[in-house]
Amino acid sequence: MMGEHELLGAIEGLEAETLQRWVDLGWVLPSTDGEAVRFDATDVARVRLIFDLQYELRIEESSLAVVLSLMDQLYEVRRDLRRLAAAVELQPQDVRAAIAKRIGGKQ
Amino acid sequence: MADPYQILGISREATPAEIRKAYLRLAKKSHPDLHPGDKGAEARFKAIASAYDIVGDAKKRARFDSGEIDASGAEQRRQPEREFYRQHADAAAGFKYDGPWTESDAHDSDLFAELFGSRRARKTAKGADITYTMSVDFLEAVNGAKKRVTMADGKTIDLSIPAGLQDGQTLRLRGQGHPGVGAGAPGDTLVEIHVNPHATFRRDGNSIRSTLPVTIGEALAGAKLPVETISGAVQLTIPKGSNAGTILRLKGRGVPAKSGAGDHLVELQVVLPDQADEDFVKTVVEWEARHPYHPRKTEGVPS
Repeated sequence: MMGEHELLGAIEGLEAETLQRWVDLGWVLPSTDGEAVRFDATDVARVRLIFDLQYELRIEESSLAVVLSLMDQLYEVRRDLRRLAAAVELQPQDVRAAIAKRIGGKQ
Repeated sequence: MADPYQILGISREATPAEIRKAYLRLAKKSHPDLHPGDKGAEARFKAIASAYDIVGDAKKRARFDSGEIDASGAEQRRQPEREFYRQHADAAAGFKYDGPWTESDAHDSDLFAELFGSRRARKTAKGADITYTMSVDFLEAVNGAKKRVTMADGKTIDLSIPAGLQDGQTLRLRGQGHPGVGAGAPGDTLVEIHVNPHATFRRDGNSIRSTLPVTIGEALAGAKLPVETISGAVQLTIPKGSNAGTILRLKGRGVPAKSGAGDHLVELQVVLPDQADEDFVKTVVEWEARHPYHPRKTEGVPS
């Protein structure tokens, strides 16, 4: 967990106004503890990523919204697939073999 | 440590603009968070960032070109250990950022709801009904019939038209509709029946009505005449002196019904000869003069 001040200090070049804007846009979802805003490790990594995309890779804000949306959907699917893989893992050998055969080549 | 120019795929003479362009292109292709399935992305991204850190900065580039610093020396200053977003997003905690983008219920986009449909969503619903409209002949509707019907999907069904079916009535074929969702029962096929009118017969509840044209002689003297009914011809006795508009009842010759078949009601229609000759007219007029009668009396019309 990190406060706003700490986070701004950790990312060189990030301004308080910019961070606030990302929070307002819903791109970053910190928790609030009374008056204080708290960023967990996921939030911090996400702020770093958005900073990279906007200031390093020069993706404009309107495009960035699309990029983040697709990215979030991608991660959701990845987590779903991982859960599915875990469920497959628990199946009897013949079931797993049948699934593997059906999915084909990859792996 | 690899040569920064080589990493960025540019010549030693590249302009700052070319270097920047090459960097952006490669960085987008290798940012680990944008390529979560690419295991080599992180190492490539770091190398690209290090390379750009040197050659993207005019002073550092000059020092590197003159051999003052090497690629790795700069790298350690620029690249503090960092956590990329992908390791968080791939973990269970990444769930936090699933929601904000879609307007719809998050479950709509649930991969497993699609995969396992009914079971996961616990959805059970009766299948949709299929509706058809078809026409049958009057006699088929009245007497009942078996029809073989080809549906829109090519399926053939045997349709049993019950005797006495009314115009506009709907027949329900249970389970012949669209399949149900999950454990839900299939839908029904609903066939709305339109009954074509008949040239002779009219239906009035369970009664059948028809009109029987008769000659003056048959009406006056009485007769036994064949009459078409819905179940074939029968002999009808016309009593002597039957007037036009007389209704004769053929009991039980109407529409079959559980409560007992209806009747067939035959209305007599007295028809003059096509060409009445002078003799006939004279005879009738003379007869009328001797035996005046008042057909409009009952309706209060003065004669």
